[in-house]
Amino acid sequence: MFAYSWLILLLPMAGFIGLSWWGNRLPRSGVGLVGCGSIGGAFLVTLVVLADMLLLSPDQRVGNVVTLYPWIASPHFQLDLAVLIDPLSVFMLLVVTGVGFLIHVYSIGYMQDDPEYSRFFAYMNLFIFSMSLLVMAADFFFLIVGWALVGLASYLLIGFWTEKTSAVLAARKAFVMNVIGDVGMVIAAFVVFQYFGTLNYVDVFAKASTTFSPNDDGVLLITLLLLVGAFAKSAQVPLHTWLPDAMEGPTPVSALIHAATMVTAGVYLVARCNSLFMLAPYTMYLVAGVGVFTAIFAGSMALVQFDIKRVIAFSTMSQIGYMFLAVGVGVFSAGMFHLMTHAFFKALLFLGAGSVIHALGGEQDIRKMGGLRHAMPITFWTFLVAALALSGFPLTAGFFSKELIIMESYHAELGNFLFWGLAVLGAGLTGFYTFRLFFYVFMGSSRSPGAHPHESPMVMTGPLLILGSLSLLGGVLGPWAHEFLSPVFSGVIPLHHEDALLESITVGVALGGIATAVALFMTGKDRLDFAKQMLAPVYDVLIHKYYVDEIYDFFIVKPVKAVGAFMEERAEKDGIDFAVDQVGAQVREVSRGISIWQSGSVRLYAMNMVAGLVTILLFVIFL
Amino acid sequence: MDTDFVLFVSAAIFSIGAVGFLIRKNPLVMFMSVELMLNSVNLLLVGYSKALASLDGQIFALIIMTVAAAEVVVGLAIILTIFRTRHDLNVDHINVLKG
Repeated sequence: MFAYSWLILLLPMAGFIGLSWWGNRLPRSGVGLVGCGSIGGAFLVTLVVLADMLLLSPDQRVGNVVTLYPWIASPHFQLDLAVLIDPLSVFMLLVVTGVGFLIHVYSIGYMQDDPEYSRFFAYMNLFIFSMSLLVMAADFFFLIVGWALVGLASYLLIGFWTEKTSAVLAARKAFVMNVIGDVGMVIAAFVVFQYFGTLNYVDVFAKASTTFSPNDDGVLLITLLLLVGAFAKSAQVPLHTWLPDAMEGPTPVSALIHAATMVTAGVYLVARCNSLFMLAPYTMYLVAGVGVFTAIFAGSMALVQFDIKRVIAFSTMSQIGYMFLAVGVGVFSAGMFHLMTHAFFKALLFLGAGSVIHALGGEQDIRKMGGLRHAMPITFWTFLVAALALSGFPLTAGFFSKELIIMESYHAELGNFLFWGLAVLGAGLTGFYTFRLFFYVFMGSSRSPGAHPHESPMVMTGPLLILGSLSLLGGVLGPWAHEFLSPVFSGVIPLHHEDALLESITVGVALGGIATAVALFMTGKDRLDFAKQMLAPVYDVLIHKYYVDEIYDFFIVKPVKAVGAFMEERAEKDGIDFAVDQVGAQVREVSRGISIWQSGSVRLYAMNMVAGLVTILLFVIFL
Repeated sequence: MDTDFVLFVSAAIFSIGAVGFLIRKNPLVMFMSVELMLNSVNLLLVGYSKALASLDGQIFALIIMTVAAAEVVVGLAIILTIFRTRHDLNVDHINVLKG
């Protein structure tokens, strides 16, 4: 059963290897075909897996481990080369390969003029491979392998334009932040092995409830260490600073890695380890708390940014905060559902932004945009759909998923009023910053008269239209997603709550955010200036992103650099280099003294030989 | 013939050769001095061969002559080449290989 699911891993891997070795010899159309074909193939295989799974009864769908062969078999440690096919991994694979495929197709148009076309697609395929490995892993070992590989692919793609210094620095920052998380994950795996003697999900989760009682030290330690990895990968406070900088990469990369898939890996991890996390309510509070805090923290920073991609990046952090809030209060399926709808509308926002940037020849500052609704009708309408979905406008996909989360943040067993209040506040912020961005870019009149924007080619607008329909209509998948995923979250059955009052408040706040944006950016220039003057100190803090980068720089980067400089001066130059140089210098000195013996004069050599001979003779004769 | 006489002659020729090698500056003459030393050794070997009634020494002498002949070929060629390039055969001037 499901043996063919290995194809989901093999196809992107083959694409990566093929494009790396022969990419430069293929024509551009061939590169695009291979790059998209491998992901499209993986998506089709995923659909077949899904169809196969739907034929099974719900309780047969979990725990299907497809083992290729035992990789390490020792008495104390057994590790199989295996993948786990269950509703959760299939759900994630649908998002990864489906949205991934659309973004690959879009990249054909977006990267058309890039000289390193094949390298781009090779990295993208590597990313899809890594992400599929991450979600299909059947044990913590391959989870970490995938976890590290997506970090690598993210690094390579953020720094794709290697001649751009800021991109290389951003890639390095993202990598370092992610490695902090990887260390947490690795230690978590050690602790898991310590307690369970195995790394297999199936065994660990089956034994979890008998090994630990709620809030045991062991389970708290494991979940907290896993959270270090999850927060680093998903850009949650305090490990969030890399995500805005990661926008230096090409826009399809931001859509694929930093919106739709990789950054949601942390949510997936918590959902995957739900048996462990449900045994650690303290950690769950932390998950929900950090999630909701990040939701408003990042949302507030998005209010004032002027880089089109950074606004969306902060919004991504904020929405992932909502997902963490959902899994933190124990409604895992709501978190996964929001992950899916978010992948649709956030990928769409990024691709729309990419379409705008493409049309304006690389311009990313929204102050220089405006009035693009006439020039780019398809981008305009799809962007509007995405913006509505992101703000939770009724009946869009984002409405259903976000409403569900906000509702459960109060009504779920672990929910409380504080979480709910902050989540609603975040919804208001979302409506405001989304439509601020929208009005800046598409409404009004053009602020850079020299530009002649044009609609993007079909290969780019096609994915926009598909994602647009999904963002508009994806909400109907909610009940299905809940039912499909429920076998994985057995024992965690969130009740469906109806609470018209809370729901109206949430929608009202979200619409209020949009209305505020209309009031400030569409109708009143004076009001905007007034608001800016009133809120100048707040504005200052927000535009500097709460000075988090500066604080990290002062407390971590500067001291480390100072230690490095000191060690370079004292240990490296004065210690090691000095010793090595002195060995060379002394040998040279001694050699210079000895080398006078080699005078080049043949007769002197002969004299020495004879003298030596005579000495030996005298020695032999007289001693 | 007395073996001691042979030894004295051999030692005398060897010393003449050695001194000649040390004091002369012309490589050709130095070469001849080397030949003197080699042949003094040959004389010694042959003398002992007779005294000890063994053919080993004579065989050695033949081998040394062969080697000396080969060496002369190489040596003369080198000397000739040096003369062609420098037009000067004073060994004190041929000292480029110094440390």
